[in-house]
This record gives sequence, C-alpha cells and structure tokens, in this order.
Amino acid sequence: METLWLAPALVCYALSAAIFIAGRLAGFSRAPGWATVLLGAGVVFHAFDLATRGLQAGNIPVANFAQALSFLGWLTALAGLVLIVRLQMAAIGAYTATAVALALGASTIMMKGGRIVLPATLQSVWLPIHVTLAILGYSMFVLAASVSLVYLAYESRLKAKRPLGPASERMPSLEKLDRINYSLLGWGFSLLSLAIVTGAIWADATWGHFWSWEPVESWSLAIWILYAGLLESRLTVGWRGRRAAALTIVVFVVLLGSFVGVALIYPGKHAGSFG
Amino acid sequence: MDQTLFILGVNHRTAAVAVRERLAYADGDVAPALARLKQRSASISEAAILSTCNRVEVIGVTTDPARALAESAEFIAADREVPLESFADSLYRLEGRDAARHLFRVGASLDSMVLGEPQILGQVKVAYASAAEAGTVGLVLHRAFHKGFSVAKRVRKATLIGHGAVSVSSAAVALAGQIFDSLADKTVMLMGSGKMAELTARQLRAIGIESLIITSRTFDHAVALARAMAGTAVPFDNYKPYLKIADVVIGSVAVTRPVIALDEFEAIIKERRYKPIFLVDLGVPRNFDARMNSLENVYLYDIDDLAQVVHKTRGEREREAAKAEEIVELELEAFWRWMNGLDLVPTIKDIRYSIDRLRDLELGRHRGWLAGLGPAERERVEVLTRGFTNKLLHRILQGLRVSGVNTPEGAYAAEVARRLLCGDLSGASAGLEALDAAGVSSEEDEDEFES
Repeated sequence: METLWLAPALVCYALSAAIFIAGRLAGFSRAPGWATVLLGAGVVFHAFDLATRGLQAGNIPVANFAQALSFLGWLTALAGLVLIVRLQMAAIGAYTATAVALALGASTIMMKGGRIVLPATLQSVWLPIHVTLAILGYSMFVLAASVSLVYLAYESRLKAKRPLGPASERMPSLEKLDRINYSLLGWGFSLLSLAIVTGAIWADATWGHFWSWEPVESWSLAIWILYAGLLESRLTVGWRGRRAAALTIVVFVVLLGSFVGVALIYPGKHAGSFG
Repeated sequence: MDQTLFILGVNHRTAAVAVRERLAYADGDVAPALARLKQRSASISEAAILSTCNRVEVIGVTTDPARALAESAEFIAADREVPLESFADSLYRLEGRDAARHLFRVGASLDSMVLGEPQILGQVKVAYASAAEAGTVGLVLHRAFHKGFSVAKRVRKATLIGHGAVSVSSAAVALAGQIFDSLADKTVMLMGSGKMAELTARQLRAIGIESLIITSRTFDHAVALARAMAGTAVPFDNYKPYLKIADVVIGSVAVTRPVIALDEFEAIIKERRYKPIFLVDLGVPRNFDARMNSLENVYLYDIDDLAQVVHKTRGEREREAAKAEEIVELELEAFWRWMNGLDLVPTIKDIRYSIDRLRDLELGRHRGWLAGLGPAERERVEVLTRGFTNKLLHRILQGLRVSGVNTPEGAYAAEVARRLLCGDLSGASAGLEALDAAGVSSEEDEDEFES
C-alpha cells in the first residue's frame, strides 16, 4: 500500500541526518537547529502515514515486519526529538536521525503492496498495548545506543587531551550523557518487561498458554536478561561511564541482530506470517 | 572643511608597559584631563580618552586632523609630564575611516592582548561616560561610540570570539564542565600551595563547586587557606582517603616523584566504584603518574595538556576574528555613510510621515463637519491641506540642503529637524537622550549602555 506521506517523511529524515552529520563535521553551529526542525517535520509526515495505514487496518499498523520497523522508526524519532529539545541533546542527532532514516528506508523497500489484513485472532485490544510497549522499549534502546556512541566519541577525545573547542560548548557533559543513558536503559527495560508480560497474558487468552518458546519470545527473554545485567552491573559494581556505554552498544547490536534476523529468518506470529 | 574622527595613542603592541604606565590615567582623572585638552587645543571639537592597562588613546573629532593629532600628542606629553620624544615612536595616528575602524575593533576586542577578552567593552563605555561627563562628546563621538558598542555586541553574538579558555586555570574549569554536569554536588581537593592551583580552585568555587578539601605539606598553610576559602584542611600524611570522595583533584605539591603509586590509585578507583575523577596536575615535576589517565573514568591533564588546550582556543579565536573583522567592515560602511551625510533619506521619510500624520489627525478632528460638505468641497479641503503640508515639507528639505548635504553638520541639522518634528513630546528632555529618542541610534539594538 502506498501513502502520500511516506516519501516526504523519508526525505525529511534523510536530510535531517545529513545536516546533523555535516554540521558536526564542519562545526556549523546552526546545523543542529535546522536538522531538528527537519526531524520534527519527518515525524509529522510519518504520523500521517501511520495514521492512514492504521485507519485502513482498523488497528495500529504493525501487521508485518516492514510496518513494525516503520513504527519503531517513528517512536524513536519522536522520543529522540523530546531528548534533543527538552534535554538539549542535539549531539545524538547524527546517530538517531540516521537510525530513523535507515529504519524507514528499509521498511519502505520491504513494504509489500496490497492490503494487509490481520487475522481475526490478533485483532484484539492487546495488540496495540503489547506491540506499542515492545516497540517503545526498543526505541529507548536505540536512543541509549545513540547516547552511548556520543559518550564514547566524546570520552575518547577528552582522554586523548583533545577536548572539544568553543564551537561545541553546548555539548552535554559526560556525566549528563551517562545519566541519560542510564535512564533510557531503565525506561527501555521497564517497557520491555511490560511488553513481555502483556504478550504472555494475550497469548494465554488467545492460545491458552503463556509462552511458546517462539524465536522472538526466546530472544526477547535473552535481551531482557542482558539489559537486566547491564542495569545491575551499574548498581552493584558501579560499571558506568565508558564501560556502560560500550556494553549498551554491544547489547544493542545483539538486539538489532535478533530483531532483524529472527523476523526475517523464522516465520512466526511475530514476523507477520501468523503461522 | 568637514569634521572627521582622529585617534592618537599607544597600545600593548607599540609601547612597553614601562611607557604605557606613565601615560595612563586613573578613571577619575579622565574627565578633568578632557576639560584641559579642550581648553588647550583649539582644533579639537569633541574628545574622549580611553585609558586601560593595554592602551592610552585620545579619540577626537576635528576639521584639521594634522593639527589635532599634533596637539593631542603635545597635550598627553604635557599633561602626563612625560617628554614627547620618549614615546613619540610608539604613537599611532589614525584619521577618518581608519580611526573609526580602530575604535570599532578596540570595542569588539579585536585589538586586545587576549583576543576576545570581554573587559575592553566596559572600558570603552567608561571612556565614553567620562567624556560625556566632561561635556566633550558631540554628535559625531556620540554616534561613533554607540556604533562601536553595537558592533561589539554583534561580534559577540555572531562569532565565538569570546568562547573557550584562554588561561591554564580557566581551561581546567572548562574541562571540569565537560566531564561533570552539576558542579554543586562535587568536591574539589586542592593539594599543595601553588598559586595557579589556588586560582583554579577559586574559579571552580565561583562556578558552583561547594565542597573544598585542602591539603599541604605545611599544615598551617592548608589551615590558613581553608579558612580563607571556607574549605576543610586535612593533614598531608592523611589525604589519601579523601581521594575516594573528591571529584576534582588539583595537584601542585613540590615532589620528585608522583604523590601516589599507580596501583594504590587503582585500588581507590575501584573503591570509588568508577565514579569519574578529574586530576589537574599543575605540579612540576608532575604530581600524578601519567598512566593514571588510562584508568577507567579518570581524566588526567597536566600543565602541558592544559597549555595545549589554551593554545587551541587562541587559534580558534583567531579564526573567529576573521568573521568579526567582516562585521566591523560592514558596520564601518554604514557609519561612514552617515558621517558623509548620505543617510538623510530615512530622516526625510520620517519627517514626511510625521507631517502627513498631523494633517490626517486634523482632518479626523473635523470629520463631522467634513461629512456635511459636498464631494467637490471635500476635494477642495483635501487639496488645500495637502498643498500646505507639501509646502512645509519643501521648506524643511530646502533648509536641510542649505546646511550642507554631505557633511556632519547637515546630518546634525537633519537630526534636529527630526527631533522637532517627529519627537515624542510627552517625554521631552534635553541633551543626548532626546537625540536618542529622535532616533540617532535607531539602527542599533538597545545598548546596555549605562552612564
């Protein structure tokens, strides 16, 4: 299915990412402002696209992997905007906008034509709750990885005695980046936990069992355990700063692999083939 | 002949401090000196004296620059009782556009010893205020100084010339700000008694760090300093436990080898649960083992590292200065157009608008009576009043032309006309403020000028 809004959304995201990156390389202080506006415009167009699809499907548009990816991109862009504007974290823009543009780009390529109808068994109030929680949780992890990348880049400059010059005085401090990373992980973990619980309740109501060891379920559990470990290491041994940032990125790569890999390789309810 | 600006002076580039200090005026002495200058030098119609530790300048207006420059030099020599020969070679003499450019560049901190330092603008404002007090400011200096203030403001806003750290201590403070977010809940530990270390601690204090621990080989010294800075003194043989709570440690102890062994420090880091720590090593020989920098969440900067940061900032400020120079040139162009009296057009527009408005108001007052007239008669009233206002405007324009089109006198006459015809009569006050209200500085954004 085509909507009018997808192309402008994609263009806005791509331009936003390009300007964030170019601004960073050239040290142009106005670039983040423009890029943020473009990211916001992308979110608006994208919202129209999702709303059009949702109205047609009669539920949130997450019937297949491509749509789920698009939804993830939108939530990430929206949450990223909040971070950039409210917490003055324009530094993450280059990573976040790129991730969003890639997600929507991939989603557009994979988007199948024709009308996608959810099977009746999945048409339930649990669908928006479970899926939104899961995807919102994932978007927190995307942002945490963005923040961690900024942290690592910034930290290595400070260690190498090449601190950022006056052009970047509004750069968030390491402490702030670390703190935001921690709270994003906390939010992501809580949302993922809720997604797993609501998924289990829904599965029980529909199929009569909580857990079927489907690939997505198993991987979600694995990822849940990894993030739990990440949060725990901070609280107990005090792993923070660079180590926490590096681990956030490692765990995110595992998440990304499972999200893409499992959905594409293994058919199942979660991959949109409803077998 | 036309009036023009001139500047005569010495600065940190042309004269050694030994010369500058003999020529400098104390703040309170400037206004009386200006009165003496005005009395002595017939060729100078307006004057100001800018005197700071880096420069002494006479900024004035004259119709005879050569004479005014000579008279200013003689005046400075006589007034400061310094033989002219002893500093004549250090003097620079500027006139016309070059003088205006110099004034703008000085105010924008482009001529400062530390490029972009912020104090100079305040000093220029003081110089203007003293001249205003002495009554030696006229239309041209008023306009030139205010233009200078707005140029400085624009440069600050549009460039990064004032950004970054230009001293070792401020570099350390800036780095602390890149590592830590809130400083209120942090602790500084000052080790040793180096002056630069103390300065750094004071600056960190100034930006919000509250808790301060001081240790020194001589405990009495630590206690005295702790009292002066409201910190806590700890004996030097028992400072190590405090490394567990300090966030910034400034080292300036006279030592031959690092104050703490690497493995001992590593153990402390583990006990801190990897809480970030910023080590500022101002000691020579160095107080901390350079390898500590590679420990997790430890940031170690020694004196050379900090000097390098400062050096980089200077380079960046120089790049920003190029942008600032462009702004100065643009503003100089506008100022010079005004000096040449070419900028009469907006004034004439304002006067026309004001007169037309008066006419409209009068017609409005007689609206009732006018409504009773027939269309032909109404047309007559229209023609009659318009004829009158046009004649009046024509006379004013002719009058302005007679006082000279391309001269400051012409511009002055235009400002007076504008003030009389367009001014807000409710708040009428004499002097420069009224000129301000009439729009002498209309193109400038509100100056923070206080005098």
